[in-house]
Formats: sequence, structure tokens, C-alpha cells
Amino acid sequence: MVQFVLRRLLYLVPVWIGISLVAFLLANLAPGDPARLALQRALGRQPTGAETAAAREQMGLNDSPPVQYLNWLGNALTGDLGLSYRTGKPVLESLVERFPTTLQIAGGGLLLAIAIAIPLGVLAAVYRRGPIDHLSRVVALLGASMPSYWVAYLLILLFSVRLGMLPVAGSQTWQHAVMPALTLGIGGSASLMRLTRSEMLETLGQDYIRTARAKGLHSRTLLVRHALRNTMIPISTVLGMRFAGMLGGAVIVETIFSWPGIGKLVVDAIFDRDYPMIQGFVIFMGTAFLLINLIVDIGYGLIDPRIRLARR
Amino acid sequence: MSISHRGIDRRQLMLATGAAGIAVAIGKSTSAQEASSGSVRVGVSEDGYRTDERANIGFFPLNTNIFESLVYLTPDYQIEPLLAESWEFVEPSTWRLKLREGVSFHDGTPFNAEAVKYTMDRIASNGGGVMGIGEESAVIVDDSTIEITPTYVNMRMMEQIGHPNNSILPPGLNPAESRNGTGPFREVEYVAADHYTVEANPEYWGESGAGVGEITFQFYADPTARLLALQAGDVDLIVDVPRQSASEVEAAGATLVSGPVGAYEAMYMNIHGVEPYDLGQDIAVREAVSIAIDRQQVIDSAWQGNAEPGTTMIPPAILGDSASLVSAPEFDPERAREVLEAAGWVEGEGGVREKDGRALNLTIINGYGTAADHGSVPELIQAQLGDIGIDLEIIQTPDTATYEQRLGLGEGDLWLEAGSQNDGNPAFLPELLFRSPEEGGEPEATAYGRAFATGEEFDTTITRSREATDIAEVQEAAAEAMNIVINEERVVTPLCGFYRIIGHTDAVASFDLHASGVNQRWTSLTLAE
Repeated sequence: MVQFVLRRLLYLVPVWIGISLVAFLLANLAPGDPARLALQRALGRQPTGAETAAAREQMGLNDSPPVQYLNWLGNALTGDLGLSYRTGKPVLESLVERFPTTLQIAGGGLLLAIAIAIPLGVLAAVYRRGPIDHLSRVVALLGASMPSYWVAYLLILLFSVRLGMLPVAGSQTWQHAVMPALTLGIGGSASLMRLTRSEMLETLGQDYIRTARAKGLHSRTLLVRHALRNTMIPISTVLGMRFAGMLGGAVIVETIFSWPGIGKLVVDAIFDRDYPMIQGFVIFMGTAFLLINLIVDIGYGLIDPRIRLARR
Repeated sequence: MSISHRGIDRRQLMLATGAAGIAVAIGKSTSAQEASSGSVRVGVSEDGYRTDERANIGFFPLNTNIFESLVYLTPDYQIEPLLAESWEFVEPSTWRLKLREGVSFHDGTPFNAEAVKYTMDRIASNGGGVMGIGEESAVIVDDSTIEITPTYVNMRMMEQIGHPNNSILPPGLNPAESRNGTGPFREVEYVAADHYTVEANPEYWGESGAGVGEITFQFYADPTARLLALQAGDVDLIVDVPRQSASEVEAAGATLVSGPVGAYEAMYMNIHGVEPYDLGQDIAVREAVSIAIDRQQVIDSAWQGNAEPGTTMIPPAILGDSASLVSAPEFDPERAREVLEAAGWVEGEGGVREKDGRALNLTIINGYGTAADHGSVPELIQAQLGDIGIDLEIIQTPDTATYEQRLGLGEGDLWLEAGSQNDGNPAFLPELLFRSPEEGGEPEATAYGRAFATGEEFDTTITRSREATDIAEVQEAAAEAMNIVINEERVVTPLCGFYRIIGHTDAVASFDLHASGVNQRWTSLTLAE
């Protein structure tokens, strides 16, 4: 197991280099001078040519692109991801500062998606073509077809404007996290519910389930221990992917709820051609993505002992 | 040559002309500081502060009135004394400023020439800006007198220096670490990306200090969320209500207030393009475009009536009495068709005009400030130009940088822009956009000039505006220059004049809205009893 984990962690190095190089090339291909954009934002006016030239020199933008990348890579290997052109703060500090806030709503959203999708998916499979199945289909259809910004505004109208229960936006209290997490959770639950249903249906049709049922196994035990456990492998794969997506792609939700997360940070960085922040973000998210997948892989072994044995 | 401005203390003048009566009428004592109580929550747009060595926390883009500039830009774009009481120009290129005495920063540090020098040196270390402040520019004459000599002869320095970005800091202050100004409010708490709280400064030097005890500015990146926050009662006032949804403020029982015009939307035509973007070289096409646009329809349809027909590409108020010298071409589609016919553009297949086998196809580039800033305006223009036989392709750039790159390459016929005026210099924008490009000139001016410059007449006129000593002459020359590009050369088609819109609940009694958001004074904000 340790070897397996170490080997997977080693994969990070080529992945880091690959994704940071792609991010660097893409950012450099986009039109616009990062120095000028950063100054424009800082000064509230168009910078003069002299100001832009001084800033370019200070940012190291007068070096050739390969030199710029290698300089960045050399520093990154020592843990220094550079300074953001946009804010002037160290990139790593900004990412570490923002990541937990995104983690809060993404984690909440994921838990909510699990809480809605799995029970409803299981029940829909067990009571196939029954009222619960139809209800789950409607819920899944709504969840999949409503864009996140629409869900966010509906939640604000309900919980803030009508009921006065939650603040519209901000990040100072736990109440501020409720609606962003709900928005992410509702969006995430639709496909998960359909997946749970279809996987459960397939599992429930297996011979060993029929055998267990014939042996008189209690239906709850049958469902939870035997059927659901076997459906958890594809579900946990999707959960891992969805969670990673929530971490990096919650930008609309973060904007509407003024939630200072990592998604908003990187979108602002893209508009401002903030190369160090963009590269720092891809490294950070690439790492998070691989770690989540690693956890999911380890989880496979816990869910299904056959996978653990095969690895040995 | 020597010009001077002896500043009248408008606050003293107000007192002398019956400010006591006004104060009683609004339920305040004449000493605003004594009456400052209560707190207000204000919904503003997203936190745009920097936190590095160029930190602008507290003064731009959300000006929380912790800091003050040397002069104040009035809502009608005239300048008045603030921390500078008076100023004069001394040949050949120096401005001598007499500073207000008896003013202190919030921590008790006296405001004096040393503070102004520190601020000017800081501006110089960041590049000097449009004012041309160099390392040697600021020279202390005595404690309350300073001389500023920009790196070029800058006759417009006093109109530029009032921008909040040039607010005066006490010597040694790094705004990234602490905020300490001379303003009517002082900092309580700044939580990045969430909120900024200020309280009334009881020691404020001016008579018209804060009208409320505390203001919390809550940042909302999303304008719709800001509007919903007002409806939910999370905030008492929101600024910059989206034009398209302004009616929802009143529908929710709140009060809608609009201010004077401080921003614009205009369309510029590339008159130096190469094929396929060379049709703007034909004056008949330019004239037809300029009179085919129905501004009122643009305002009613795209902005739900929340704008004024534009007459120039800057707020008319900045031109003072000369504003009446500029007017936008009148909407006359019939005449537009005649102009095109006379120039040989005859109706072809599908209603699109043709000349010598070439169809009258134009391209409009939408992306400045952002494409979203223009709502449905490009589509309306497309429909209106279609009515006179011009086919218009709309290209939307994803961001300003892409727009500017395209402009630099001259790839487009019409360019849709929106912007705001935040200082008192009427010559700045016309000169930036329409002056003939110079060898080694500023990159941005060069890009605009290559597309839009009309030639010597404009250059001479705008130079006269920039170099004039008398502000009325500055305004008159700027108006003449705009007439050249709008009505003679038809390079500019003004569309809309934008005013700011706020919404507030019954908790707010009064608030004087400034045309320029960054120059907003929050002292006028008072609470209902």
C-alpha cells in the first residue's frame, strides 16, 4: 500500500511540469500585456508607456518566454510560486488562504449531494417505476437542467428575501456558507442520483443478490451490505471527480455569494493575465485532483477486498 | 504668465449663507461631527483593493473618505479647494500650492508640505502617472507651501490631482499596513473581499463632516445579488444599480435615486483601416452611420430608460458653459439613405447596399469596458443600420485586452466603448483617442490614433485645450475639438450619457450622489429619524 501511494505521489512531478507548461503557453498566447493590465487595475487609469515598461522589467516579462518559464519552474521547485501580478501577494499564500473557503462549500455541497442522491437513487431502483422512481426522475431532471446561477438566485429569493433566514452573500459566519453549499449540492446530486439508480438496478439483477434473497437475507442488509456496497465503486469514482470539479469550478457560485474562494481568484487572474497565479492554480488543483483520485483508489480497496488482494 | 486660484472655503461660505438653517432643516446641528450617530450598511461592487506596495485600500476604487486629495472634484466636474487652499502656476512649469493649515491625520500627525511631498514621491516611484510627477518634482517651500514641477509642462495638473488615487498620505505610511488620512471617516475594520467599516472622524477639520456614525461597505461582486441584498434588508443602500433592473428597486418598495451624468457610451469609426476594414474612410458611410442611430430607442430598449441621449464622449458638465457648443447628429434615417445613395451605395441583394460590386458590410467590436457593459446595444445598432442597408457583423471580445489587441491591429470598423470621467480634465479623453499618433508615443494613444485620428485641425484645437491657462478656454477648445470628431469628421457617434443609480430603504434620509463613483463624498449620507 505504501509503495502504491508513493508511486502515485511520484506521478505528481511530471504532471506538475506538464500542466504548468501548458498553462504557461496558453496564458502567453492570450492577447494583452500583464504589466499593463496589472497597472491599469492598480492605478485606476491607463498607465503610461514608461510605467508599463518599468513594471514589465520588475515582473521579469522582458525575458524570453522559455527563460520566464524556467525561472518560474526553478522557484516553484523550492516552493516559491511567485507573486501575483494582480494583488502583489505571494501566489501560494493566496491559494492556501482561499482554498479552505472553497473546501467548505465544496465539502458541504458534496455531503448534500450524497445525502440527496444516494438514498433517492437506491429507493428509485428498489421501487422501480413506482412513485419514488418518478419523483427521483423529476428531481434529477430539475437538478440537471437548472444552471447554478439560477438555483443560487432562487435560493436567495426564498431564504433571504422571503424568509429572511440567511444573509444574501458574504463569508463571515457559517450561515453565509449554507446557500453556496446548497447550490453546489443540488447541481451535483442530479447525475449522482441517476448513476446510483442505474448501478443499483444492475447490481440488484445479479445472481448473488438473487441467491442472498433466496437464502432469506434481510432486505435492508441485502441492500446496504451487498447491493449498495458493490455500486459504491463507480459512485465513488464519480464523487471524486465531482468534488474536484466543485473545488476548481465554483466560480459562478462564489461570485454570486461573494464567497472568496479559489475559483473566483483564478478567473480574475485569467482576465488580468496573472501568469504566476494561473500557473500556481493549475499546480495546486492538479495536486488536489491527483490526491482526491488517490483517496478514491484507496477507498476502492476498502469497499471491495478483491481490489486490495489484486494489488498485492 | 501667472495664473492663480484663490480658493474660497465653500464650507465657510455655506455657514455664512445660512448653513445653520439648513442644518436645522435636516435635523442636524451645525457641527456635523457632534450629530454623527447611527450606522448604515451599504452594498457596493466587488473589492478591488490592492494589498501590495501599490496598495490603494480606502481610496480606490471604493473611496471610503478616509483619505482626501488636494482638491475636490464637484459633481459638475469643477475643482474646488480641499487640502490645498489655493494654487498658482509659476513660469515655466511649476505649480505652487498653499496648503490648508490646522489639519491633522487621524493619528494626530499634522498635515503639511512634508506629507504632500511624501505622497508625490510615492506617485513618482510608481511611474509618475499622467501628471508627470518625477522624483524631483515636489519641493517644500515651507510647512504650508509646496511647489510641484511635473516632468513636462502640465497645465492640467490641478484638474488631475484631485483624483482619489492622489490622496495625501502621512509621511512613511504604507496603506497596505494601515490607513490614516485626513478625511471625515476613519477605518474601523477592513476584511478583504467581504466588508469595509468606517466611522465618523470626530476631529474632522471641515464643518460638513460625517452625517452618520458608522458605514459598513459590504462587497457584492454580483450586481443582482446586491439588488437582492437590498430587498432582503441586508443593506440599507446599494450603489450602481444595474440599469436594466432599476425598476425592481422601486417594485421592492425602496427609493431609486439617480445622479448627474458621469459616464458615456459611444461608437468610434476606424477611418484609417485597410481592406476589409477600410469602409470608414468614406465620409458618406460615416455620416450615414452617425444619423442612423436612434439614441432614444437604445436608451429605452437596452437601458430601460435609465440613461440620457449622449452628446459627446465625456460628461457634458465638464465642458461648463461650452457644453452647448457640442451636439450629437440628429437621428434621420431618411437622410442617411440619401447620403448613401448620393455616394453611390445602392440597394443590392437582401437589402444590403453595394458600390462597385462591394457590399456595405461593417464590423462592430464590442468589448470595452467589457462586452457585458453594453447589454443589447450592439444588436440594436445592427438593426438600425440594417434599416438603411448596412450589414453589421457583431464581434464580441472576451475581455478588454483582446479588444485592445484587435484595435492595435485595426481589425474592425466600429468600436463600441463605455467609460467614466473621474477627474476635471476635459482634454484627456479626446486627446487620447483622436490625436495623430507620434513616433515613440504612448502605446495606447498610438493604437487609437492609428484608427481614429482626424488630423491637424483636431490636434491644434486639443493642444489649445490642454495648454490653456483659463479653464473656460480649456472647456471651449475641448468642445470645439469634440465638434470636429463628432459633427465634422463623424468619427464619433455618441450614444448615451450614463448617470449612477442608487437604491435605498427608508432608513436613509438623504444622500447626494456624485457623478463619478470614485469621487463620492459619503458625508452627505444621513439617516431617517
